[in-house]
Amino acid sequence: MQVCLALVIAFAFLCPQIKANDKADEAKSKTTLYKASKVYTMDGEPLSPGQVLVVDGKIKAVAESIEIGGGTTVDLGENSVLMPGLVDAYTQTPLAANGTDEITSEVTLDFQAIHSVDRDKNTLKRQLRLGTTTANACPGTQNVLGGTAAIIKTMDHGETVLVDDGAMVAAMCNDPAARNFSRSRPDTIYVRQPTNRMGVVWILRNTFNKAARASQANGYSKLKQTISGEKPLMLVSRMSYDIVTVGTLADEFGFKPIIVGGEEAYKVKDELVERKYPLVLKYDNPGSTTGPEGSALCWNNPGILKKAGLTFAIAGDNLLEKAKFAHRFGLDADTAMASITSIPAKIIGVSDRTGKLAAGYDADMIALNGEPLELTTSIRWVMVNGKTTENQKEN
Amino acid sequence: MFKKTYFLATVAVATLATLTATSTLPAQKPLALKGAKIITMAGDTIENGTIVFRDGKISAVGADVKVPVEARVIDVEGKTVMPGFVESHSSSGMSQANETNPIVPYVSVVDSIDPMNPYFRAARRNGVTTVRVSPGNSTLIGGQSAVIKTGGEFIDDMVIKSDAGVKISLKPVSGSRMSHLAKLRKALDEAKRKLDKKNKDNPKDDSKDKKKADDKKKDKDDKSDKDKKDGDKDDKKKEKGDKDDDKKEDKKEDKKEDKDDDKKEDKKKDKKEAEKKKSAKKDSDKKDDKKKPEKVESELDRAMFAILSGDLPVIIYCDKAMDVGQAMRLIKEYNFKASLVLGRECHKAAKQVAESGLPVILDPQMVFFEEDPRTKEETKIVLPEIFRDHDVKFTFQTGRGGRTTLGNSYFWYQAATAVKYGMPVEEALAALTILPAKFIGVDEYVGSIEEGKDADVIVMSGEPLGVGTWVEMTIVNGEVVYEKENDEQLKLLLEGDTE
Repeated sequence: MQVCLALVIAFAFLCPQIKANDKADEAKSKTTLYKASKVYTMDGEPLSPGQVLVVDGKIKAVAESIEIGGGTTVDLGENSVLMPGLVDAYTQTPLAANGTDEITSEVTLDFQAIHSVDRDKNTLKRQLRLGTTTANACPGTQNVLGGTAAIIKTMDHGETVLVDDGAMVAAMCNDPAARNFSRSRPDTIYVRQPTNRMGVVWILRNTFNKAARASQANGYSKLKQTISGEKPLMLVSRMSYDIVTVGTLADEFGFKPIIVGGEEAYKVKDELVERKYPLVLKYDNPGSTTGPEGSALCWNNPGILKKAGLTFAIAGDNLLEKAKFAHRFGLDADTAMASITSIPAKIIGVSDRTGKLAAGYDADMIALNGEPLELTTSIRWVMVNGKTTENQKEN
Repeated sequence: MFKKTYFLATVAVATLATLTATSTLPAQKPLALKGAKIITMAGDTIENGTIVFRDGKISAVGADVKVPVEARVIDVEGKTVMPGFVESHSSSGMSQANETNPIVPYVSVVDSIDPMNPYFRAARRNGVTTVRVSPGNSTLIGGQSAVIKTGGEFIDDMVIKSDAGVKISLKPVSGSRMSHLAKLRKALDEAKRKLDKKNKDNPKDDSKDKKKADDKKKDKDDKSDKDKKDGDKDDKKKEKGDKDDDKKEDKKEDKKEDKDDDKKEDKKKDKKEAEKKKSAKKDSDKKDDKKKPEKVESELDRAMFAILSGDLPVIIYCDKAMDVGQAMRLIKEYNFKASLVLGRECHKAAKQVAESGLPVILDPQMVFFEEDPRTKEETKIVLPEIFRDHDVKFTFQTGRGGRTTLGNSYFWYQAATAVKYGMPVEEALAALTILPAKFIGVDEYVGSIEEGKDADVIVMSGEPLGVGTWVEMTIVNGEVVYEKENDEQLKLLLEGDTE
């Protein structure tokens, strides 16, 4: 902390000189202090009032009051709230329109979502303005084992990739079967297995078997890493029985899955508690009665899972809105906030950089004009690596 | 055959209504809510206030109100009481919102509303006590709207206004906008000619028509509830009878109209008109013998006359910004008493809308993005912001939700969204209650908590528009029609079926 302050003071003295000499340098060593009436650090109790010191796109300090000698001070004024940028643990939004699903083969272990990321996509820009700063871009579920995910920041090109070859994403749901079935007649070359859930499980089991037997240096090495725990394995499962099947497969091969979707997780919460699998809930359209695959929705799915003692993130587009409804339907406010910031960061393995406002973390934050979970609160701007969306239309 | 069944049905219905009316009315004890913060929407908010209902009306409200000894008292300390919400435009709760024939101003949503539709349960759960149900946006002249209460098992117990506006949609369903508007004008012009002729022939007729329309409105002054219901029913009986007579003729007309082609249209029209006049004459001659001294108009004519004479308001749905201009022209030409339901693109005509000073109902999707066709850059559009900047008085309607949130399917959520983008809370609450009540002409009965108004209130767990605030109780006409603690469906949805 003291080192910090010393640094800041040093900057203060240096700054005017740098300004005179080298403009590029000045841009690089930018110091800004943000003052808000409340700061949700997601790293302990919220600060009220609170201040966040950002230097060069990183958070240098977070405290009730920080002294700086120079740089810029931004006072966000009354009722202003800062919170960490949102972390989306499972999304296809950053992927190019035609870049989510491989449909000629059920097993495409070496396909990487990173090569499909379209940073100019309008829907991605919208998510940024809605507060999502980090996104785990995942291959879709139209085939059984789609490939690996990539963790990116949602602003700017290139330099903001956190993990380029991340979690293996697999479907333990009806999606591949439904897709194959839609080709209807078995006499075309497009029809292949699986066309039912048994087939999906068979392909998973078969592929894991091959991986278990294979030597390191072949096409199954990434799957091998998921078995050994080096690489996370995300299994998309929505129905209660599919979630149970995930458990069966996990026991057989010894991997520890992250369950994605989890619409009916509340029905099998006891099994989940026993196995301590983390969940990434899609929680789309909370308030409706049926979800994807005809799953029976429970509006308070997150609240029930929390009560059972499970760890879960909420994922997908419009994260803050989903957290609001999760809270409305019974999840406590703290967990609702954590489920879109610190918890997803932990689940996808980037909790050393994102999901919290703390010294050393990336300067990813959201400035709001009120309590984050209130429906009447709007987002003023979103910051990624120290840069804000301020010029974009307010959200 | 038809007539007979109809008659029997009406008799049965009338008896049933009388029975229930007599059996429930004396049983209704006064009800009092005690200790709540009362947001009256008519002057100051009352902290720790009491409100008393008697015979379905608010009989007293204030901080220091005497509760009658015989009253059932509900302690609502710490809660917030508000007038029930008034949704001024909805096509929910009906079995089919759009009629496929293009010009049907004589049909009524009353015949289509299903009180068992899940919409009504959701409405009560979300604090909506009054709703104007209108035909959908896909019929040229779509039929008559009705203002109804959301509590009730039989439509006749719910209706408070059955002539609450005819929907005119400027959105062409098939074909061009040119033909859409031409069809509309043709229908209006034809009716106008007939009306002018009729007024010339029989100048006194107008006042009678007006009286009839007024009759259907809820009578506040001296009639008791029962009388009113019976009166309403008689009216309906008459109408239905007439409808039967004219049905065949109308159908023929419609078919003919559809077949008409551009060039021959005018000639045919004249011919047809002549024919129609003849037949109308014959018709009226026949009926003259029976009872009615004046000429009998078709149901279509009557509805069209009511529109043109301003007795029946019109609700104009504008799909695109260009439709707003057309709407203005139509309103001017035909002297409509109009209100506007605006599609989301209509924000581009906000200035024109503002100048008109007409009541406005915004599109359910109040926040969306517009893409520049060349650069693909998106601009965020916030409807309440734009229309507030133009000083337009507007209220909300509900939609079907989006891809990730059902938010806009809740009426109160729309107000919260408006507040999110700068609308003061009081203004947003007014847009849920008294303002829409004024828009649809029922502010005499609902929309605020005042002595003498209908006992339609909601009890909320906290501040209105709060994320954790729930409607705990909904009262319609002095009767508790919803209680959260007895909402088994909600319990199941919140707790799952985990036993």
